[in-house]
Amino acid sequence: MVNVMKGVLVKCDPAMKQFLLHLDEKLSLGRKFIIQDLDENHLFISTDIVEVLQVRVDELMDRISFPLHEKNA
Amino acid sequence: MGPPKKSKKERSGGDKFAKKRRAEDEAFTQLVEMENDSNDAPEAEGVPGAASKNAEANDDNIDTDEYGAKDYRSQMQLRQDHSNRPLWVAPNGHVFLESFSPVYKHAHDFLIAISEPVCRPEHIHEYKLTAYSLYAAVSVGLQTHDIIEYLKRLSKATIPEGIIEFIRLCTLSYGKVKLVLKHNKYFIESPHPEVLQKLLKDPVIQKCRLIRNEGEEFIQGTMDGKAITQFGTKLPPTAAGAGTNPTEEAAPSSATTGADGNTAVPDDITNFYEKIDKEEEDEDEANLKTVSFEVAQEKIEVIQKRCIEIEHPLLAEYDFRNDTHNPDINIDLKPAAVLRPYQEKSLRKMFGNGRARSGVIVLPCGAGKSLVGVTACCTVRKRALVLCNSGVSVEQWKQQFKMWSTADDSMICRFTSEAKDKPMGCGILVTTYSMITHTQKRSWEAEQTMRWLQEQEWGIMVLDEVHTIPAKMFRRVLTIVQSHCKLGLTATLLREDDKIADLNFLIGPKLYEANWLELQKKGFIARVQCAEVWCPMSPEFYREYLTTRTSKKMLLYVMNPSKFRSCQFLIKYHEQRGDKTIVFSDNVFALKHYAIKMNKPFIYGPTSQNERIQIIQNFKFNAKVSTIFVSKVADTSFDLPEANVLIQISSHGGSRRQEAQRLGRILRAKKGAIAEEYNAFFYTLVSQDTMEMSYSRKRQRFLVNQGYSYKVITHLKGIDTEPDLLYGTQEEQGQLLQLVLSASDMDCEDEKMPGEPGYRAGGGGTTKRTGAISSMSGGDDAVYYEYRRKNTGSVHPLFKKFRG
Amino acid sequence: MADTKSGRYANSNATSGPSGSSSSTPPNISQLVQGPANLECKDFQEYLRTRQTPETLEKLYNYPPICLAVYRDLPEIARQFIIRILFVDQPVPQAVVSSWGAQRCAKEQQEATSCLTSLNVWRVTAIPGGLAAWELSPTFKKSVRQILLGGGKPWPMTNTLEKDSKPRDIAFLDSYAMSRWRCVLHYMVGTGNRNGTDAEAISPDAVRILLHANLMKRDERDGITITRQGFQFLLLDTRAQVWHFMMQYLDTCEERGISLPECLSMLFQLSFSTLGRDYSSEGMSHQMLAFLQHLREFGLVFQRKRKEGRFYPTRLALNVTSKESADATTAIVTMSASEEEERMQDRGYIVVETNYRVYAYTDSPLQVAVLGLFTELLYRFPNLVVGVLTRDSVRQALRGGITAEQIISYLEQYAHPNMKLVESAINSKSCLPPTVVDQIKLWEMERNRFTYTEGVVYNQFLSTTDFVTLRDYAQSIQVLVWQNEKTRTMVVQKNGHDDVKRYWKKYSKSAG
Repeated sequence: MVNVMKGVLVKCDPAMKQFLLHLDEKLSLGRKFIIQDLDENHLFISTDIVEVLQVRVDELMDRISFPLHEKNA
Repeated sequence: MGPPKKSKKERSGGDKFAKKRRAEDEAFTQLVEMENDSNDAPEAEGVPGAASKNAEANDDNIDTDEYGAKDYRSQMQLRQDHSNRPLWVAPNGHVFLESFSPVYKHAHDFLIAISEPVCRPEHIHEYKLTAYSLYAAVSVGLQTHDIIEYLKRLSKATIPEGIIEFIRLCTLSYGKVKLVLKHNKYFIESPHPEVLQKLLKDPVIQKCRLIRNEGEEFIQGTMDGKAITQFGTKLPPTAAGAGTNPTEEAAPSSATTGADGNTAVPDDITNFYEKIDKEEEDEDEANLKTVSFEVAQEKIEVIQKRCIEIEHPLLAEYDFRNDTHNPDINIDLKPAAVLRPYQEKSLRKMFGNGRARSGVIVLPCGAGKSLVGVTACCTVRKRALVLCNSGVSVEQWKQQFKMWSTADDSMICRFTSEAKDKPMGCGILVTTYSMITHTQKRSWEAEQTMRWLQEQEWGIMVLDEVHTIPAKMFRRVLTIVQSHCKLGLTATLLREDDKIADLNFLIGPKLYEANWLELQKKGFIARVQCAEVWCPMSPEFYREYLTTRTSKKMLLYVMNPSKFRSCQFLIKYHEQRGDKTIVFSDNVFALKHYAIKMNKPFIYGPTSQNERIQIIQNFKFNAKVSTIFVSKVADTSFDLPEANVLIQISSHGGSRRQEAQRLGRILRAKKGAIAEEYNAFFYTLVSQDTMEMSYSRKRQRFLVNQGYSYKVITHLKGIDTEPDLLYGTQEEQGQLLQLVLSASDMDCEDEKMPGEPGYRAGGGGTTKRTGAISSMSGGDDAVYYEYRRKNTGSVHPLFKKFRG
Repeated sequence: MADTKSGRYANSNATSGPSGSSSSTPPNISQLVQGPANLECKDFQEYLRTRQTPETLEKLYNYPPICLAVYRDLPEIARQFIIRILFVDQPVPQAVVSSWGAQRCAKEQQEATSCLTSLNVWRVTAIPGGLAAWELSPTFKKSVRQILLGGGKPWPMTNTLEKDSKPRDIAFLDSYAMSRWRCVLHYMVGTGNRNGTDAEAISPDAVRILLHANLMKRDERDGITITRQGFQFLLLDTRAQVWHFMMQYLDTCEERGISLPECLSMLFQLSFSTLGRDYSSEGMSHQMLAFLQHLREFGLVFQRKRKEGRFYPTRLALNVTSKESADATTAIVTMSASEEEERMQDRGYIVVETNYRVYAYTDSPLQVAVLGLFTELLYRFPNLVVGVLTRDSVRQALRGGITAEQIISYLEQYAHPNMKLVESAINSKSCLPPTVVDQIKLWEMERNRFTYTEGVVYNQFLSTTDFVTLRDYAQSIQVLVWQNEKTRTMVVQKNGHDDVKRYWKKYSKSAG
């Protein structure tokens, strides 16, 4: 016997993996999407979540960035 | 500022959650709301009518090109010889200056007098004309016509009509009325009787007039000619303090000749420059007939404000040479006190016409502000009052006086809670803002000193670190102290609470602001390598960070094990190089933990005066103590001249001023280090993927605009092979996490300083912070958020197509 | 038996798209998973190797100018080899050839050898005694001999001409060439049409080439628009642009009934000509005259009138074969460029400050458009554009398919001369502020924190032997992307799944 599932392998750094686990746990994307937690750098997730996920990651990055220039000081 | 303040209080008032909510992500959204509030607020008081006619508004109907840029091309015509002229003047008051132009020097001096620097990196500088900057220009003796004419000559293109109009509006009526202190009485004085008549028709001003005898007329008088002011020893042109060309700014006459050479400077620029430069000195040569009336001292601020509103700002000048009422004090600069060109230049702005003007001089930390202060006192030679913001600073000012001037102990009186010298007969009194403004009961001795202080007519009042003092405290100082002129000293005119405009009428206009990058190039301040070190959050810490909704987030990113290790690594590295390192942490919990774990001395609020001095002495002289940890108390209060490395592990939100102030700790020029590319290091450790990243960038904006650049270090070379770093194992990190999780709410907060909202003398940390957000995140940032939102919609036309 | 499921959550409600997200284009799954297609720039050798078969190469070698270009483009050692055996009429044993170089140069020799082989310049034959030997392609040999010794038909453009009564100087030709070439670029960014003058328009043939090259594409709504490869093209230096464009032209010339070898030969003849001299078009075939008109349109040659039997090659044509243009995707400004070349390249006009400000001394719609690709523009003065590099503006460019490297090299290439005088620029290879360079790269890296691979996970193996067998198989056909023996879990690429499944069925049957 062997179990087989289609999906997407995600490779990322450990902190970002925590972020994905967090989204999964809190159902932040509306549902669970992690199929299997592989190791500290890898997750296996459902294919149809990838786009939404990337948007959430972008949002996180937007939040922690700050424009360096001053326009109308 | 009525309404916005009120709403601030309501929002963050008694409820405890407000404090927690703001701690993280929400801080920004709240900030935006609040700032929108204040934007809607009615015109702030004390702003001249002209200021409300902001040049920025000229832009409202400007066309934008297909990329969203404001298109000024139709409004200005390029001149034939544009390549020889260094400026573009935009219709919104922004001015762009080529720093590589042969006319740079001419233009720079002029622009710094009439406008505010926005950013001054390597090649092209941006300035901005504001109502206040033009007011300052008038008060140092520039005339409307000259400003417009010179701007025209320097500009590559025609000057937009709106700007000419704006300059007229802001300058024509300025500079005609003066506030004069004579024989303990305040007078409004002007050579134009019609202007005084006009003022007296104003009901507010009427109420401020002090009429001692029924039916009193204007008091007649004359304004006397002046003499050129000389400050101590002039720097001889060849004695290069730092090996570069100090003549450049030293003497007015050399400034134009220095620009000669093979490059083409249009004649009209050179000629005009000479004219303006001379005028600055020769103004009011003739004896003028003046008229004046007396005003009540307690109404001074009211009348100052009112006069600004009706566009006749009062200039405060002190004709100290002809003041026979107040006795001279016997101090002079020592021959060894040699002024650097920019110090002299700033003082020339102050004493340009033989009198002392009130105003603010802005010099980077470590560039020798105190020598400027001491020289000003030695020039006026009347009783001087120096106000600073801590006891340690009082001691340091006293030492500065003894080092640079002939003043001895008997002439300098310290007035602090710990040192109370006898004031009677002293020439210089050094004290703190809080010492003279607090309203608690004083000892009999202190009461006597206060009374004496209030009775005196001070020749000059030096206000150190002006930007750090709440406006309220200032107002109290001004009602207590009568002084002929006020000199504010600061490194940055930035205030996160946006109260800087107040300084304009509480002290006076900005007289001079130095260019950091230029001072650095000439070796007057250290060459600092700024770096932002990215420390990846450990997965366990990041997990908690994502889950926790409280202010504990902050503690999690400050205590991030990889940040600790980076800090330890950097300390070791610099200790081996023989450097002196200061580590800053605003968070006391982290401060203590880091310092104790690494076995280093630390200073924070509760550290006693004695212990502080002992630690600083050891840091200075003991080779074994090359690293100390300090909290916010070290931001402004005392000098640490021996340090050349600075590490920030936790800092106060997005405060640009604090960042500049901290950089200042290591700016004092290092001896014989000019050969090296950098001789000082400024590290900020940030935990990756947390809000700290955003705060860090926010803090950097001011310095980035001064031309500093921050190198991002994503990995410290050698940290992986360095033995003996703590928190390397999963187990140790787990223990650290437990420690953080069990910390109390109080541990999560920054240390509070006197004068800060939320501070309570001797009280615990349970105080509520009111209105702390704006000071934490920067007060004038609403614009950025508006912009960011707007911009997400505007897309390059090509991309629009591309996506379609 | 394999138990295939399409994923546990596949049928649950998917959340709707991004709500109020700031990024204006939601990433598309295929882009995320596979990575976008980028502009591919091939140098001459690559072009010959990948686009031409050995047979067509032989055809090309009938043209001496092509052979000369190939010869010049070869590595030093390869050229030595050719010269040594050019007049040897029988094959030369390989052992002899390799004995010509010292042992320490073995690597270079190896490269030269394989280069000659892949270009079909020489081939292996056996000589009596069974030794392997090299033999030059006879056509190539003939053509190169002709170049060296003369003979054969004269090149058409070398016909004698009467002296031009109004000769054109180099400065004129340079500015003519650039203005023509800019028309093509203007057309791409859509600024050409706006100005509306006839001189700005480009021919339908040119448009066809842009479409063929995938630099532009036809769009139902907006008509013809630029593509991501088009953006990348704009950021190349001029030489690289012309080369890439001409290679695309050659791909389409046969459709127009023009012979490719003839065109290529002519292109190289032009590249060997002298700048500032006029040449004759008398005696050119009909097709070659048509080709000449295209070259005229793109600015590679100047001709007063269409029918005039005289033309001047411009620097664009002369530079076609120069080596630097080859690796233009990573264009680094060569500091040693001669003065003339510098005049050719637009003078540096961009100032980049440490506070991310960008000042560009220009009013050219093209330069402004390119700058606007990755800069937020704030003000337009008559001769200056003020902008700023922001995270948003750079990310927009990155999303449009421009790489951080391309932005950086564009800014370096057009950096204002003053930028090169800054202390930090003198000691480093880039004249841009290092923090700005770093930050642009960090913004790119930020987008690449995650890599996605579509695949299939296999787990719950009953025994380690089963696992190891299947894993080793997947590895052997190179579809394994992740595995852990302890948890008996492995991930294979999506396209490898069928093979692995088949293997598993076979395996479990035989085992069961």
